[in-house]
Amino acid sequence: MTTVRSSSFMTGKMPTWCPGCGDFGIWTSLKDALAGLGISGDDGVCVYGVGCHGNMYNWMKIYGFAGLHGRTLPVAQAIKLVNHELPVICISGDGDGLGEGGNHFIHAAKRNPDITVIIHDNQVYGLTTGQASPSAKKGFVTKSTPEGVTDAPINPLALALTAGATFVARGFSGDTQGLTELLKRAIQHKGFSLVDVLQPCVTFDKVHTYMWYRERVYYLDTSHDASDKVKAFEKAYEWGDKIPLGVFYEEDRPTAEELEPALKCGPLAKQPIDSSCFDALLEEFI
Amino acid sequence: MMSSVTWKIGGEAGFGIMSSGTMLAKTFSRQGYKTLATNEYPSLIRGGHNVITVRIAVEEFYSLRKDVHILATLNKQTVDLHKDELNDDGILLFDPADFDWKPEHFSRHVVCIPIPLKEMVRVKSVDPVMRNTIVLGASVALLGGVFENLKTVIADQFQKKGEKVIAYNAELAWMGFDHIKKTAGDVRHFYLKNAEKREDQLILNASEALGLGAVRAGMKFSAIYPMTPINSVITFLADHAKELGIVYKQPEDEIAGMNMAIGAAYAGIRSMVATSGGGFALMVEALSLAGMQEIPVVIDLGMRVGPATGMPTWTESGELRFVIHAGHGEFPRIVLAPGSCEECFRLTIHAFHLAEKYQIPVFILTDKYLNESQWCVPKSMFTKPVSIDRGKVVKEEELTPGQMFKRYRLDVEDGVSPRSFPGMKGGIYFNNSYEHDEFGLVTEDPDMRKRMVDKRLRKFQAIQKDIMSPQVFGDDNADITFVTWGSTTGPVREAMTMLEHQGMHTRCIQYFWLYPFPSEETKSLLAKGGRIIDVEQNATAQLAGLIREYTGIDIQEKIVKYNGRPFFPEEIIERL
Repeated sequence: MTTVRSSSFMTGKMPTWCPGCGDFGIWTSLKDALAGLGISGDDGVCVYGVGCHGNMYNWMKIYGFAGLHGRTLPVAQAIKLVNHELPVICISGDGDGLGEGGNHFIHAAKRNPDITVIIHDNQVYGLTTGQASPSAKKGFVTKSTPEGVTDAPINPLALALTAGATFVARGFSGDTQGLTELLKRAIQHKGFSLVDVLQPCVTFDKVHTYMWYRERVYYLDTSHDASDKVKAFEKAYEWGDKIPLGVFYEEDRPTAEELEPALKCGPLAKQPIDSSCFDALLEEFI
Repeated sequence: MMSSVTWKIGGEAGFGIMSSGTMLAKTFSRQGYKTLATNEYPSLIRGGHNVITVRIAVEEFYSLRKDVHILATLNKQTVDLHKDELNDDGILLFDPADFDWKPEHFSRHVVCIPIPLKEMVRVKSVDPVMRNTIVLGASVALLGGVFENLKTVIADQFQKKGEKVIAYNAELAWMGFDHIKKTAGDVRHFYLKNAEKREDQLILNASEALGLGAVRAGMKFSAIYPMTPINSVITFLADHAKELGIVYKQPEDEIAGMNMAIGAAYAGIRSMVATSGGGFALMVEALSLAGMQEIPVVIDLGMRVGPATGMPTWTESGELRFVIHAGHGEFPRIVLAPGSCEECFRLTIHAFHLAEKYQIPVFILTDKYLNESQWCVPKSMFTKPVSIDRGKVVKEEELTPGQMFKRYRLDVEDGVSPRSFPGMKGGIYFNNSYEHDEFGLVTEDPDMRKRMVDKRLRKFQAIQKDIMSPQVFGDDNADITFVTWGSTTGPVREAMTMLEHQGMHTRCIQYFWLYPFPSEETKSLLAKGGRIIDVEQNATAQLAGLIREYTGIDIQEKIVKYNGRPFFPEEIIERL
């Protein structure tokens, strides 16, 4: 068995993200996390949404499903149901996963499929040149909100907690080591794991810079009880001078795949087509 | 003695109207009779007016006719609404507690047979919902049927509910049967002639036939959001998921459903969705994704009355143009439309084969009338051998570990490149929604773009050899040719039988393969002249439009119906 290294995931294509983009940090951490867990490009699937984040597959050598804007989660759940031995990771954005795909997000969390969702959360739509995303904070001036955002922002962590996610975490793309550890835990978690990643958009957001985040972020320490959902909510709403990172909530609950009777004999993809009980089916209609 | 009798039962929704129809059909189909049960109901669970009509005949037939020989009623409203449909000498079964119907209330000669239904359930202290069982027993008596046959059907129907429920129902059915024998013993004019039983027959709707076809084809994953008229597919698949080792997932919406089916097919198994027009509208975005990623997926579109919510529980065949043109961008697809329940089973199996052979979406267009009527089909129609060919799939040993896989190889004459599945060593590629190169990597290169479009569209040429000619029924030398598709085929064929009895020979061309359109076949079939009459269950004669588009033949005579009710053969004959 060959060792998986971060460099194993190179495709030969170079990233097209803006220099300094937060996506670089997430990409680096994802490669490191997969390598650290020994998951090679052949043994996992990444499902990508549409947005700057979604271009990642071109320089990420792992089975990749580059789908439609907002639709990563239905695809990822189906892949997992068909072949539950494969780790499945959604590479999603805040507009992608919380706007266009908001309904899928809620329902995926409640079903608890064993998949990991990484939300590239930068408050803007970068690929369409800088409109406000669903997580944009009140007052934020963007191309689509010249007077500042008037809506309340979607809080991805609180939404995931409400919907029933069993692993809820937040990382920062400016700390790749810390993010790598979070991603490892998320991938290893049995159930729906969300990692919301704060990342600066260096081109369209001059407010939330690396420096802005660095002055505010801190990791939750051992005093935070990650099994306490109410505490997790409290921390999820902490935003301002102090912004917490780390695992907010973790729960052990049977996964969608574990509860699916057809998967008891192994992955669907590996089960032969069997028509032995077809005649009995016909009898029901006579 | 009769060779064909039509029986109709009506009452408030929630009073077992639908199941009465199925049970009556089974009572006679098990003896070798041919049956058809078709329902009409509003989009309500309780309180609306429900009707089911069952035709029972000695010989094969294709649709109902405008007959009602026996009208069984559970309330006064049913008589008010349907009394003029009764044939001469027709029989009315009614509860005198609702209204005391007399022959003078009817325009034709009607035999009024009172049954004290409410009194009977009161005496037995059972739920009034069971009145339908009494009526069922009475009806079997009026048809000259054997009570034991009904009793067996009751036992099977209520098997899951236990012995007590079976016993109650059998007793109530006997009360109805006995009531007729005792009080109306000489009413024998609707006794059925004997039928010869040749083999076992199934009573099922086209949604169930489609479910059976999917399972027979090795379908392992479906994600179906509930919607009339395809809900029986859900019930069938969900009920049998465990024993069959398949997954049925209820998605949050049709957008998720279609994306799930695509994800499942990508991961290596056969998958499907089912919906109606409005649900399909939500799937259209992902349909285009399947087109770009070259994903095999089967879509059952059970048509109903549109636009928008339309009339959700009524029938129409108005989505032909919609499925042919749905989706942004240009990509190949196949559209099939069964004209009968057995054809639905057969074409569903074929749809999965075609989807994987060409790695494209394949549609099965059904409709409310097909999907919710109970058809009678010989068992042998379901037991023919099926060979399963997964199409071009690469074997893991052919792959080179560490290298990327050319999933979208361009050097394929038919446009179909071998697939790998996630988890195969050396099979990595990008299943891409964006235009891509052979590995699935993004491209905006003009040459690569053109070559990829050409590759995908080459499948249209390859499919040509698989196109199935329309079915032709009747007399090849007839002066009248009917052209039709889908469930309208039944009433057209029934009209042809009636015309034949009048000495008039006709021909019918039924399209069950609709796209890519069989142009050459159509040109030769329509070349011989005579009257050509297009018959369709929609307002704009969509098939006639397709024929004109692909052959230049402009069919002048059209018989269309779009009030939500299926054709009666008599209506086709009247409009000749």
